[in-house]
Amino acid sequence: MTNEISLLSTGEDPMSVPEAPRSSQKLSPGAWLKVNLFNSVTNSIITVVVGLIAAYVTWQAVAWVISKDFTIIRDTLRIFMIGQFPDDELWRLWVSGAILVIAIGLAAGALARNSYELAESQGLEPESSSVLDLVRRFWAIIAILLLFASFARTAQPKIGIVAVIILVFVVRQLAWSAPVAIRSRAVYISALLVVGSTLVVAGTSRLGGACVGIVVFAWALNESGRRDVAAMRGGRFVSWLLPLVVAAIVAAIVAAIGFDGYGWDDWGGIHVNLFTAVVGITLGMPFGILLALGRQSKLPVVRTASVLYIEFVRGVPLISLLLFSKLLLPLFLPIDMERPAALTLAIVVIMGFSAAYVAEIVRGGLQAVPKGQTEAAQALGLSPGAMQRMIVLPQALRAVIPAMVGQFIALFKDTTLLTTVAVLEFLDAATIANNQPQFLGKGLAPVTYLFVAVGFWAFSFTMSKESRRLEQRLGVGTR
Amino acid sequence: MTDASNTTTVNTDATKIMGGTGEPIIEVRGMDKFFGDFQALTNIDMVVGKQEVVVVIGPSGSGKSTLIRCINRLERHDRGTIIVDGIELSDDVRNIQEIRRETGMVFQSFNLFPHLTVLENITLAPRNVRGVPKAQAEAHAMELLERVKIPQQANKYPGQMSGGQQQRVAIARTLAMRPKVVLFDEPTSALDPEMVKEVLDTMKDLALEGMTMICVTHEMGFAREVGDRVVFMADGMIVEVGSPEHFFTTPQEERTKLFLSQIL
Ligand SMILES: Nc1ncnc2c1ncn2[C@@H]1O[C@H](COP(=O)(O)OP(=O)(O)OP(=O)(O)O)[C@@H](O)[C@H]1O
Ligand SMILES: [Mg+2]
Repeated sequence: MTNEISLLSTGEDPMSVPEAPRSSQKLSPGAWLKVNLFNSVTNSIITVVVGLIAAYVTWQAVAWVISKDFTIIRDTLRIFMIGQFPDDELWRLWVSGAILVIAIGLAAGALARNSYELAESQGLEPESSSVLDLVRRFWAIIAILLLFASFARTAQPKIGIVAVIILVFVVRQLAWSAPVAIRSRAVYISALLVVGSTLVVAGTSRLGGACVGIVVFAWALNESGRRDVAAMRGGRFVSWLLPLVVAAIVAAIVAAIGFDGYGWDDWGGIHVNLFTAVVGITLGMPFGILLALGRQSKLPVVRTASVLYIEFVRGVPLISLLLFSKLLLPLFLPIDMERPAALTLAIVVIMGFSAAYVAEIVRGGLQAVPKGQTEAAQALGLSPGAMQRMIVLPQALRAVIPAMVGQFIALFKDTTLLTTVAVLEFLDAATIANNQPQFLGKGLAPVTYLFVAVGFWAFSFTMSKESRRLEQRLGVGTR
Repeated sequence: MTDASNTTTVNTDATKIMGGTGEPIIEVRGMDKFFGDFQALTNIDMVVGKQEVVVVIGPSGSGKSTLIRCINRLERHDRGTIIVDGIELSDDVRNIQEIRRETGMVFQSFNLFPHLTVLENITLAPRNVRGVPKAQAEAHAMELLERVKIPQQANKYPGQMSGGQQQRVAIARTLAMRPKVVLFDEPTSALDPEMVKEVLDTMKDLALEGMTMICVTHEMGFAREVGDRVVFMADGMIVEVGSPEHFFTTPQEERTKLFLSQIL
């Protein structure tokens, strides 16, 4: 039993910001300094030296930032955010952003409330989650969004950003106090909202219909499980058939309505980086899990195919796969077929690429599940599929959350490579801004690159912080 | 529990039922088991009767675990036949599933599912294997928790409980499938001494209610008090069999005497 515990409680991360000593005994600032920074001669010397270096670096940095002219960001902000997205379609981004934010708030609020109630029912002290705590957790993203807004020329984006931030908090609070019936379905509703939000921008109603169908199917399957249709005669059949029928109908309707969204040929800016990373890993995850299971399969064909795929993809740089998809893949497609957009190909490549890495991460997790777990499941008569789904995978995936988030962060940063297939992503935007005639030769490149770096940092930092939090919380559940 | 046996001596025949109703439920005939070249079990013949409590003892490495793990196919036997409740254990997956549904197993290391609450641990198999509706499965689970005397822990995770409590949950989880036989593999060996009794008491209750049990254990007090028959194994073979009183007082084989002198 000790195996999974040690896995979940990993060591300190150097990036971790020590939480303010809320629980420990309160010390006056002077006493705190004495205890923590000047408790020995060596420590005092180190404190002074490091303090001086830090002060010098900070001073230089601030002086540099103040001396620079940030009008270049102000003038080209739009390229940084959304690339060449046309003006009259701009509402799509705002609407899709608002839907997305509602989805996030809904899921976050409902899940937080559920775990709060679970902790309460176990007689543990529930974790507080006031608005203030949330701000503390997500300050980097909030700050970066406000920074983006502050560079805007007109009032509209400023109002928009602030409204979106407020919206997410409001929805979260609403979801927190929503009735159980809604909360227990929040994840499905959120998933539908997310699909809907992409439909608004990108259209592609047939693909969207399929996605909606999958979500509705999962939902309906869960609903029929709740009411235990399976207990009726022939119920197992009905409990699969019913959701399938419902999903097929909904998918057909969505596909038929047709959302003529805005094609993504001209998407750009940080919007593309976030979108590609999220879609790439979301689609890559199930594929990666299948590959990991395939690698353990008893069937030699499945095993060999999985190993070949994983080892090939992991053995080549992402950039070569991207270039390959752009230059070579069209040669294999039928001539009369329309060439897929660069971004479509890039998303497919990123999905396939992350799947190989996810597969290796999951394999580690699978190996960490003690043999006793599968034996207990077998002894209870669970079928091999049910055993994987309900016993092995949940534990394996929990154990690899940190690695998975690390992979996601790496992938998020790797989206800068999209520039090689002529997608105008965030880093590329800096180059474009620097090459504007009015800014050429003014040495403004450091300014734009700093802006890009801070943008990437805010998201990566928050994700790694959140993953650590999740990891600790799950650790509590299993300890 | 009724002592149906009229054997007066200790012998090597493990096919004679000594308690319960007298009808066989598990029959093992001529079973061999190899791990690679190593023969872990040699020519095992054993019959267990309905509602009989058989205690298996023997030195470490003698094949006790392997024997009971073959009965529910956690290990595949290489020769001989195993019949559980009229079903012969073969490579046919349906037979294996059928037998696993009828036999529960309690492990030395509990093997509770750490990511599920106690209630979920107990209701998982009934709901997924037997298709019991959720409400009914939970009601039954609460009954079982009542029986193992920890109803107030239903929403905890295994990691939040003591070893003794965890093992009792593991017993409840096994019983939730309403098995006809329960196999115990040293259920108290991983427990602190003060928790051994609570688990043994639970097992005793179970035996009194008429459950068929095969217990691998080093708890000689339990064997004496609850067992209908004691089976002593060494080097992968059944060496000596007898009712507890005869087995402990008049063992015939040298190896048995040596083992008992070491353990008592
Ligand atoms: N998976 C395995 N692979 C190889 N050898 C094994 C395996 N499992 C058990 N053995 C061997 O088979 C023999 C019997 O093992 P078994 O676990 O049944 O003994 P046991 O009587 O239960 O001992 P203990 O009291 O220590 O649990 C031992 O010699 C052991 O080393
Ligand atoms: Mg053993």
